[in-house]
Amino acid sequence: MSTRAVARDTWWLEFDCPDIARGARPGQFVMLGLGLDAPGTWLLPRPFSIGWRCGSDGRLGFLLRVFGIGTRALARLDEGDEALLLGPLGRPFEVDPGRDVELVAGGVGLAPFIFLAAEHRSSGGALRLLYGERDAGAVFDLPLLEELAGHAPELYTEDGSAGTGGLVTAGLDPASRASLYGCGPTPLLRALAAFAAAHGRDLQVSVEEHMGCGIGTCQGCVVPGADGRWIKACVEGPVFRSTELAWGDR
Amino acid sequence: MTDPARRPDLGQRLFGVDIPSPVFLASGTCGYGREYADLIPLDDIGGIFTKAVSVEPRRGNPPHRVAETPGGMINAIGLENVGLERFISVKLPWLRDHLRRAHVFVNVVGRTVDEYARVVAGLDPHEGFLGYEINVSCPNVEGGTLFGTDEGALAELVSRLRAETGRPLIVKLTPNVADVGVFARICEEAGADGLSAINTFPGMLVDIHRRRPVIGHGSGGVSGPAILPMGVYATWRARQVSSLPVIGIGGIVRGEDAVQYLIAGASLVQVGTASFVDPGAAVDTHLGIEAYLTRHGITRLSDLVGTLEGGAP
Repeated sequence: MSTRAVARDTWWLEFDCPDIARGARPGQFVMLGLGLDAPGTWLLPRPFSIGWRCGSDGRLGFLLRVFGIGTRALARLDEGDEALLLGPLGRPFEVDPGRDVELVAGGVGLAPFIFLAAEHRSSGGALRLLYGERDAGAVFDLPLLEELAGHAPELYTEDGSAGTGGLVTAGLDPASRASLYGCGPTPLLRALAAFAAAHGRDLQVSVEEHMGCGIGTCQGCVVPGADGRWIKACVEGPVFRSTELAWGDR
Repeated sequence: MTDPARRPDLGQRLFGVDIPSPVFLASGTCGYGREYADLIPLDDIGGIFTKAVSVEPRRGNPPHRVAETPGGMINAIGLENVGLERFISVKLPWLRDHLRRAHVFVNVVGRTVDEYARVVAGLDPHEGFLGYEINVSCPNVEGGTLFGTDEGALAELVSRLRAETGRPLIVKLTPNVADVGVFARICEEAGADGLSAINTFPGMLVDIHRRRPVIGHGSGGVSGPAILPMGVYATWRARQVSSLPVIGIGGIVRGEDAVQYLIAGASLVQVGTASFVDPGAAVDTHLGIEAYLTRHGITRLSDLVGTLEGGAP
């Protein structure tokens, strides 16, 4: 693997994993952990959206921000270290070829859209990548982002220290008919769901929840469904149509 | 080169059948088996204990349902399951058709003696499983440990289920009692065929930013390496006071952990939380036990079971 710092407390990790890379699609994820023989630490694997794929050599990229013990342990990985990856897992984004798309990312919710934007380059449709962060220090290395995604983002920061000041949702265009995609904190997804409903827009979101196994056995990662069920994010998601989920309970 | 003739025999005759490996997947960590079928060769281990089955489907608890803890994890799934009818129509046929050597125990749960009995009576005529693991020890639903912590209620439940089935009846004990041995003995007297020791310990994590429990249910059950010594102790204690086979559970992540349980008196073991970290953990545990036996010149696994020397009274 290789690793590089791309923002404050934020790393870009790349792993050689051709078997997983081969079938991977944007929106899918990988359970990333250190296995049972990792010295001195107990670590459940953590789910990471696949952030990028280099088709020619079977490498996958992941965006890692330190939030707690798990992400801190993974952030200590160094060049050449090995990790345990299980994937590709979950339901990918649906993208109609040729259709215009708007991708709205909050924080490390940027990850699956790097992959989606890169894959969309050949599809013919227009693409907007709206990217919001708290402040300039948290913003992903922009030249690298543009190199990986093939698109420059429209950047928003809450404190105005980079890009346009304010929330990323300020960039939404009510007149647009493009398909919407959202990934980031729940308040962002809730706001997007409300926008999509108000303007009759199609919205797919990638959700996050604590996960145990990633394959549907532990039933740990549920999110509230519009039909009143608890829905497993790992095998029924992590990508959902916004209308499949209940937003009031979240 | 390993001489095949010198390979130790990990098989045992228990519950009226040949069990080729002492390692099983623990209830709640392997779904209904199918989820792991693409990841590990289930027929290379002893088998599985399914997710709990109740009379009616259960919705389960709100998120977060799982979180990492020091040396383990905490969960409060809330016994979400497909219910008896769907288990019989969808889950059991898959197990019947896809497992050759691996044995299946169905984990059974209920709110009342009658509910437990209805699940057992409903399952009993069907093929695709060997026996039952009676869950009297779930800390994550209201009344979940009722039968596991009340001597009279446990005796009544086990006696009633004994009357419902001739299949192997294993009771999964809760550690949340003053003496696991008392409850082990009650199970034996009431007609149980085996004991699973142990279920999770009740615990809580606090989100210090929100000043709320991390787990949606509030509290949850703690599993993983952190509880290994408690599981070994419960296994040893259950074995001290009863003659029933004990299935050791709690914190097993590799062969050496399982060997501790076996020496303490477990005939079989279950691997649970470790499968989340590495789906191959159960298979590796089997291989680790085999390597231990080979290294110590023990030809049969049963010669290791319950060989603890010394030990506190």
